[in-house]
Amino acid sequence: MTLLADKQVPAPAARSRQRRSWRELLQPRYITLAVAALVVAYLALVPIGTMLYASLRSEFLGTTPGTWTFQHYADTFSAPGFGQLVLNSFLYAGATAVVCTVFGFGLAWLVVRTNTPAKGFARIAALVPLIVPGILNTVAWSLLLSPQRGPVNVLLRQGHLPIFNVYSLVGMVFVQSMHVIPVAYLMGTAAFTSMDSSLEEAALASGSSPVRTFRSITLRMARPAILSAILLMFIQTISTFEVPQLIGVPAHHYVFVSRIYSALQNFPPDYGTVGVLGVFVLVVACAGLLLAQRLGRASAVQTITGKGFRAQPQDLGRWRWAGLAAFLLFFLVAVALPIAMLIWSSLLPGYEQPSLSALRHLTFSNFEEIVRRPGLAQSVKNSLITAFASGFIVTVLTAFIAYITVKTKIRGRGLLDGLATVPIAVPSVVMGVGVLYWYLAAPLPVHLYGSLSILIVAFVTITLPYGMRYLAPGMSQIKDELEEAATASGASWLQAFWRVFIPLLMPSLLAAFLYTVIVSFREISAAIFLYTSGTEVVSVQVYDLYSNGSYPVVAALGVVMVVFLSVLAGAVRLISRRFGIKSG
Amino acid sequence: MIKLTGLTKRYPGRSVTANAVDGIDLEIPEGKLVTLLGPSGCGKTTTLRLIAGLERADRGVIEIGGQVVSDPEHRIFVGTHRRPIGIVFQSYAIWPHMTVIDNVMFPLRVNRPRPKKSAARETAMQALDLVGLADFAERPAPAQSGGQQQRVALARALVREPKVLLLDEPLSNLDKGLRGRMRDEIRAVQQRLGITTVFVTHDQDEALAVSDEVVVMNGGHVIEQGLPQAIYTYPQDMFTARFLGVSNSLDGVVDSVGPDGATVTLGSRSMVCRQSGTAQPGERVSVFMRPESFRLSRRQHSEDAWPGTIEFSIYHGDCWDYHVRLDDDLLKVRVYQEKVGLAHGDSIFLEPDPDSAIVISGDKQEAEQTPEEASPADAVARTR
Repeated sequence: MTLLADKQVPAPAARSRQRRSWRELLQPRYITLAVAALVVAYLALVPIGTMLYASLRSEFLGTTPGTWTFQHYADTFSAPGFGQLVLNSFLYAGATAVVCTVFGFGLAWLVVRTNTPAKGFARIAALVPLIVPGILNTVAWSLLLSPQRGPVNVLLRQGHLPIFNVYSLVGMVFVQSMHVIPVAYLMGTAAFTSMDSSLEEAALASGSSPVRTFRSITLRMARPAILSAILLMFIQTISTFEVPQLIGVPAHHYVFVSRIYSALQNFPPDYGTVGVLGVFVLVVACAGLLLAQRLGRASAVQTITGKGFRAQPQDLGRWRWAGLAAFLLFFLVAVALPIAMLIWSSLLPGYEQPSLSALRHLTFSNFEEIVRRPGLAQSVKNSLITAFASGFIVTVLTAFIAYITVKTKIRGRGLLDGLATVPIAVPSVVMGVGVLYWYLAAPLPVHLYGSLSILIVAFVTITLPYGMRYLAPGMSQIKDELEEAATASGASWLQAFWRVFIPLLMPSLLAAFLYTVIVSFREISAAIFLYTSGTEVVSVQVYDLYSNGSYPVVAALGVVMVVFLSVLAGAVRLISRRFGIKSG
Repeated sequence: MIKLTGLTKRYPGRSVTANAVDGIDLEIPEGKLVTLLGPSGCGKTTTLRLIAGLERADRGVIEIGGQVVSDPEHRIFVGTHRRPIGIVFQSYAIWPHMTVIDNVMFPLRVNRPRPKKSAARETAMQALDLVGLADFAERPAPAQSGGQQQRVALARALVREPKVLLLDEPLSNLDKGLRGRMRDEIRAVQQRLGITTVFVTHDQDEALAVSDEVVVMNGGHVIEQGLPQAIYTYPQDMFTARFLGVSNSLDGVVDSVGPDGATVTLGSRSMVCRQSGTAQPGERVSVFMRPESFRLSRRQHSEDAWPGTIEFSIYHGDCWDYHVRLDDDLLKVRVYQEKVGLAHGDSIFLEPDPDSAIVISGDKQEAEQTPEEASPADAVARTR
């Protein structure tokens, strides 16, 4: 690439290095790099910095000037119940992580490594986290499993079995797992697909029994992937809002996220404590992510692929029907049940047990309510605006970043890549609080707080890494020669980018755009800290309505959300398959 | 030692009419190295995997050392881990999370009765010694080069002293120079141990170099089977002939059969073929000739020489390849001692060698030419 730059500036090699580098710096590609780096750095670092600042100041957003202090840290860590809070959080996130990884990897093994007839369910399972947002999953399960009226518990009681109270630690782990297992499943699929099955066959041919082979070869080979999946599930669980708030709080089981939320709901808000808790979660998440990356690197070294590489499915014999049963069960529990519950509740004016007699009350009035209630219609509009705006901004931004990091050898591109992935390590709750702090405190000419822009800023930051995930591989699929041919035909860099890269990238761009829209649309963990009256988005509205007890309307809104997200997710899948984009 | 009877394996999944392995009968004698040779998709690897028990046959019996290990009709299937085999995969399949010695010791550690660790280690060291890797025992396995991994895989396959050694294209991932060395080494080890070995390859040179016996496969069938030199010199089948690089074929009719062989009329030409097999006068046959089995000269030395013109020439350094036009036919001729190259349009005379011409009956040709068996070699031959 730098060679190309040489061609554009026909300078003899004898000329001084300095003069050339000055001219190079003024080229559009370097200006683009600089702008992109500044924007990304602003988005990724400023909120975290502000939160750190708040945690270290005696006064934040106060009228009196403050001083630097560690007082908040000392207060928070020594407060009664802090140990319990840490324990609760780790117990909840740890248990969820292990459960998800065991089930997710188990399902992935069945799909990738055996002849279980379940490929159709596998495809659906992969889409679940996209089409059922966490908040809806939580709402649906708390309706299904509510101790008194939840239909599952009613059935259990009729069968004289002990009921399952969702408002407990086990309930929290269960509901969160239902949402996260598909993610673990996807990670497991990746791990098992990249494993050469002749490694297992060699063990069998060495006289090792199938069980022993599974234990000492398959599991051992997948160990780095398994551990890193556990860490990632842990981070995701410890940083999301809906389950701890909707299920944990009624169960009096407080974790970091719910504590942060309640500390900000108090008046006056305890900015210092929230800052400290935010930093704490951030540190935990970063440590986990670093560890996971290391494990990932270790496992990358371990995969040897030769010419004879195959991922041969293993014949389970009659056991494959048990595998199919596992899939059916998973599909029924994780996908069908919550959605059925939402649909059922959405069609009744007030909540009723599923029964034949209740069929007489079926009505579409809840859906009419969405259109009629001004707040609801407004929230749908807000969600659409913020999601599409974030999608557009992220797509354009990551297209440039991906070009710079994948296609050029400009110095500093590594830093840019690093900055763009920082938001992965920042829990959405922390991001929400950070963005909130910055726009409350920053001496900016325009006040974003109270407008939709602040939500867009947060969504853009959170979804940056997702955009990169689609565009970086898409970009590396385009051969360098294509751009070189354009330049050799006399096109400037901008022309080459616009006329060659953008058209070829279109599928990736579209997939990245839709995916970002989906992620923004279902996002609540950051949005819950950033909305004001008039700027509620749908996910926040669902939470509000649920807290007020208007379950039927929540359900109707949920159904609309699921339909909308299904269409988008289907489009992403279609595009990815059609054009062979590898994501992840 | 290994006996396959009516072995059949369908393609997995969809109902494809063709079988991956279609009723193979094969006997592999004790202590011999037998090569399964054929183009990709001919069923050779599937056959090996069936012997190993990594795939289940749909029909037919597999016996190893007199014991039936697979017989679907009688619901007999001995799992891979209970068969007396050692296997080397194309990708070596060295476990990357273990050291070299741990890899080699693994078969012993899962064996029953389990030997003591020190004893197992000693046996493993002997196996490593056999392949010349004793000094590398403590290294992590992925740190080894391709050739070394190959040797580790071989040591691992042999350490249990299996009755049968199975090699699945073991040399195809190695670069050219190393391939020859490893090939010789595998043969040396096999002969020293006298272990019954099945060697799968698509490379004819490899097959000819290492085998006691070559089994040529295509379309899930055994085409023919015999000593390497017999298969190479006088293939009995068109497919074998083409697969082994006999690129010239001329169709004709047997004129007469005498003590010197058969005289075959090939259009306006005729030639004597010493190795005519069971050819009868009046029979339609194809005569196959290797590129190097012609004498090419500018002048007519004998009555048997055919006049032709050079179509084009390719220089290889140690030899020339000429494409010679004889009326409608185009023959490939390889000449070793030619100092001066001939050019397009030069008139020459070709004298076929009666000893190396191969006569294959035309009836057999029809029988073998079913569409699904058309290999690239066939396609090339047919365009002529």
